[in-house]
Amino acid sequence: MPMITLSDIPARGGSPFTPAMGVFLLALSTAPFWLPAVGLYQYLGIEVAIWLIFALGFNLLFGYIGLHSFGHGAYLGIGAYAFGLFQQEIAVSLWGGLLAAISAATIAGGIVAAFISHRRGIYYALMTIAFGQIFWFCAIKLHGVTGGEDGLLGIPRPDFVLGPIRFSLADNTSLYWFSAVLLALVAIGLWRLVNAPFGRVLQAIRQNETRARFVGYDVWRIKWLTFTLSAAFAGLAGGLFSMAQESAYPDVMSLHQSGLIVMMILVGGGLVSFWGPVLGVILYFVARDVIGGITETWLLWFGLMFVIMVMSRPEGIAGLIHVARTRLGHAPAGRSAPKPTEV
Amino acid sequence: MSNSKFTRRGLLGSAAAAGGVVAVYGPWKHNRVHAQASDRPIRIGITSDASGQYANSGASDRRGMLMAIAEANAEGGVLGRKIEHVHIDTETIPATGSRVAERLINREECGFLIGAVSSGVANAISQVAQRYGVIYLNTNSSSPTESGENCHRVKFVWDGNGANFSKAAIRNSLDAYGGNVMMVTNDYVWGHDTARATKALVEQYGGTIMDEILVPQGTRDFSAALLKLQQAGPNVVAAAVGGDDQIALRQQVAQLGMGDKMAWINNQQDWPDVYGLPADNLFGVFGTTWYHGLDLPGVQDFVARYQAMYPDTSMKVPGNVFYNGYMATRELLAAIERAGTTNNIAVIKELEGHVMSAESRMQHHDAMIDPNTHQVQQTIYLATANPEPRDSDDMYRILTQSAPEDVRDEASLGACQLESYDDTPTFDA
Amino acid sequence: MFELVPHIINGLTLGLLFALIALGFTLIVGVMEVINLAHGAMFALGAYFAMTTIGGGWFGGTEFGQWWLTLPIGTRYAIGVIVGPLMAAGAGMILELCLRPTYGKAPLYGLLLTFGAALVIEEIIRLSWGTGEQSLPVPQAINGAFFMGGLIFSKYKFFAAGFAIIAIFGVWAFLEKTPYGAIIKAGAHDSEMVRALGYDLSKLRLLVFGFGAALAGLAGTVMAPIWGLRPHIGIDVIIPAFLIIVVGGVGSFWGAVIAAVLVGLSVGITGAYAPAWSMLSMYLLLIAIVGFRARGLLGRKSALEN
Repeated sequence: MPMITLSDIPARGGSPFTPAMGVFLLALSTAPFWLPAVGLYQYLGIEVAIWLIFALGFNLLFGYIGLHSFGHGAYLGIGAYAFGLFQQEIAVSLWGGLLAAISAATIAGGIVAAFISHRRGIYYALMTIAFGQIFWFCAIKLHGVTGGEDGLLGIPRPDFVLGPIRFSLADNTSLYWFSAVLLALVAIGLWRLVNAPFGRVLQAIRQNETRARFVGYDVWRIKWLTFTLSAAFAGLAGGLFSMAQESAYPDVMSLHQSGLIVMMILVGGGLVSFWGPVLGVILYFVARDVIGGITETWLLWFGLMFVIMVMSRPEGIAGLIHVARTRLGHAPAGRSAPKPTEV
Repeated sequence: MSNSKFTRRGLLGSAAAAGGVVAVYGPWKHNRVHAQASDRPIRIGITSDASGQYANSGASDRRGMLMAIAEANAEGGVLGRKIEHVHIDTETIPATGSRVAERLINREECGFLIGAVSSGVANAISQVAQRYGVIYLNTNSSSPTESGENCHRVKFVWDGNGANFSKAAIRNSLDAYGGNVMMVTNDYVWGHDTARATKALVEQYGGTIMDEILVPQGTRDFSAALLKLQQAGPNVVAAAVGGDDQIALRQQVAQLGMGDKMAWINNQQDWPDVYGLPADNLFGVFGTTWYHGLDLPGVQDFVARYQAMYPDTSMKVPGNVFYNGYMATRELLAAIERAGTTNNIAVIKELEGHVMSAESRMQHHDAMIDPNTHQVQQTIYLATANPEPRDSDDMYRILTQSAPEDVRDEASLGACQLESYDDTPTFDA
Repeated sequence: MFELVPHIINGLTLGLLFALIALGFTLIVGVMEVINLAHGAMFALGAYFAMTTIGGGWFGGTEFGQWWLTLPIGTRYAIGVIVGPLMAAGAGMILELCLRPTYGKAPLYGLLLTFGAALVIEEIIRLSWGTGEQSLPVPQAINGAFFMGGLIFSKYKFFAAGFAIIAIFGVWAFLEKTPYGAIIKAGAHDSEMVRALGYDLSKLRLLVFGFGAALAGLAGTVMAPIWGLRPHIGIDVIIPAFLIIVVGGVGSFWGAVIAAVLVGLSVGITGAYAPAWSMLSMYLLLIAIVGFRARGLLGRKSALEN
């Protein structure tokens, strides 16, 4: 069977309330009730929600427009530092901090994107690595600002304030709800975006950049915008991450971590489905937690699983589900599929 | 279609209803009051690094804890309860440390956390532990900030820190070799903290700092730094370089034969970092809290117990990292026994100010857990390579030993502000 | 200016060692258009196998093992330098077999597969050799230091740099002067042609991968006495290798060598002024060069760009 891609699964415009979105929102809104029952815990839920925001935004770049960034952890880290520095230097404010996180990552992403948007393929990937490493390096070196290797410590979790409503995010359950609401907004927003004409342009560029340019799209500008946008989502995730950890560390900015997010997206099937990153992030975090609790060599098993996956089913879990559904006759394959086949 | 719609709505409805029910009884706040049954085991979470830069020391650290736990269980446990342990790899990454701590406390229901080599990881764990009131033993991270500005009511620090080791090493070296000092500093917080302490001491004892060479963490090629050292020609080189970086530095210094051209002070030398290396790699003077060749009662028995428990380990004798892991765990269990309860505040109060006899710790002086910084004040040894080893494991020659009060870290005393008991959540483990 | 001379010498030797590391990497990228992120793992495997060979760990306490240890260290070292890379070559060939399903797909898949393989190999090293630091012994003749202009230099480092020069020219001669090299280079440009000429493309790929891995293992064996040996050493290797092929231009042999020397010099010279930032100079060099020359110094068009 030939490999399927994102474009083979027809996108539907209009309402984002597909069955998949329903399942996703349901799982999101009930997680605190069943997490302990299945052997997990609240904090893991927060981390997964945060990394989902990161991964969904990243897949706009990675899956949809097909630009392979291997330095995206940098923007997550920049968001985390910006949030922390805002709390410590300017004011303890949730919205201010998140705004600072998003702005800082957007600016950094915008600058980098301006340097690399005329590149393609491997040189694009390599330049993202170089810039990612520079940010990571600076985070470690600038002790006065970032706290260096030990990180920026003691970042508060500011209260949620919206008009007359005010509640504390100090305990993990309330922070989970806050992150989950943001994640739901991000998921719905991105879903609308990729199913709008803009999403089609992204896919056109992935399939053939030259053709897209001839058709009249300003490819450079769209590439720049997509990178910057995905950096903004990374910044939001970073701001939340620094709240969750009450600190910001340089490690998330390393090449290793940036490689892991790519790995998660690929395992999940981000190249073939909007929901691929969701599956990948959940699988990675749960596997790490469960296998990591059993054996110290969990990376061996996860690595092996990953290698086998790339060899046999590079479309990832989402591709696997798609194939299974096709075989079971739930949804005929191909472009003429009458029903939605998002997983 | 309508059928599926109905189903979906129905599903949502019943889920909402279920949610409502759980919301009343459900896990809004993790229930930290467990059953008080005396047969319920005491659970300890081990947070040592199993991968990353400090994987090797982390493994040694963990062996120490496991031996202490095994010995306690062999004597019937603590308060009549068995000790259980869970280990999760913290990967020498602070973010992982946070998550592991959350998991151990919430999911594994551990009442105590033990283990650290990296100060970044130790700090990340202690922030989480403080939020839950869970006692955390930092066994092997020697950054002065751990018992200074990043101290916590629930955290106890068992290793000597950079300031302790500097104090022990600097004066002796300046007297013996001369006052021109160059510094080679690992460019991260532990390195800087240690370097700051060293600088102050060098000036206090009348030496001069010629220059400080910063080397990034992860440096594999030290030749630029070594060239600078050669050109400057100092009497003493004070190095604060840790982990793998230090091993690479040692190898390159040995190859250049620079080990005896100038007096090297390496603040602290962890046993797992040098074990099995050739003797010429072990130049200079360095600090340690314990050595298996100390001529004190109990040491030989301790080594024998280690060898009986870990016959297949490549490290044939215990070192300082193992020792700290073991001592920390043993003292925690003893404190629980003395407190007669696993209530965290009661155990903290038992640990604070507790004096441990020199015999029990196999050191030359009594040690004490400082009630103000929660750092163990203990004997600090200076060692160098052993020119006449009895066997291949006999790598050190102990030069001096300093009493805890002579090497006290005064700076952290001012920097540390522990949370009050009231601000520390209380529970029974 | 005079103070800079030793830093320049030091940068040059470092650059030659970087070139040795990048050789196998650039070969595999050039011929197979696969970015082999397991290159660092091959480096580590070669060094570990060489160490076990030199230390006689294969034979344990058997009579042969006893006899083996009575051999002079120079002999054992020489054999280790051969065995280490051979074992790495074997591992590389296994990896190539695993890579086959990804041929014809986006280069991303090859890159990801090798990323996963690197994780797996690192864990396997940890399981078989332990997490601890190990050292690879070298013969007395090339150990120690010598004086030059009042400064001490490491003999071994110069030996390694000399070794790197020989290896670089050896590989170059192999590619340029032998029929095998001609076929490999043909495969790089036109795999159809190789097939049409009657050569077995899959066997060629297997051999190229094995050769590239052997070069990685050789680099590991030579570098281990300088950098030390630990399971995650591969990570320290892959980044400079990566940088070098990009600066030099993907698939260009001399581009990689020149880039490696440039990187070594920039690290060495910044080390004289700001050692803490010396590693950053590599990335700045990359951005400066690739910013002006899209395909690096001597790069040519490659399928990897799509």
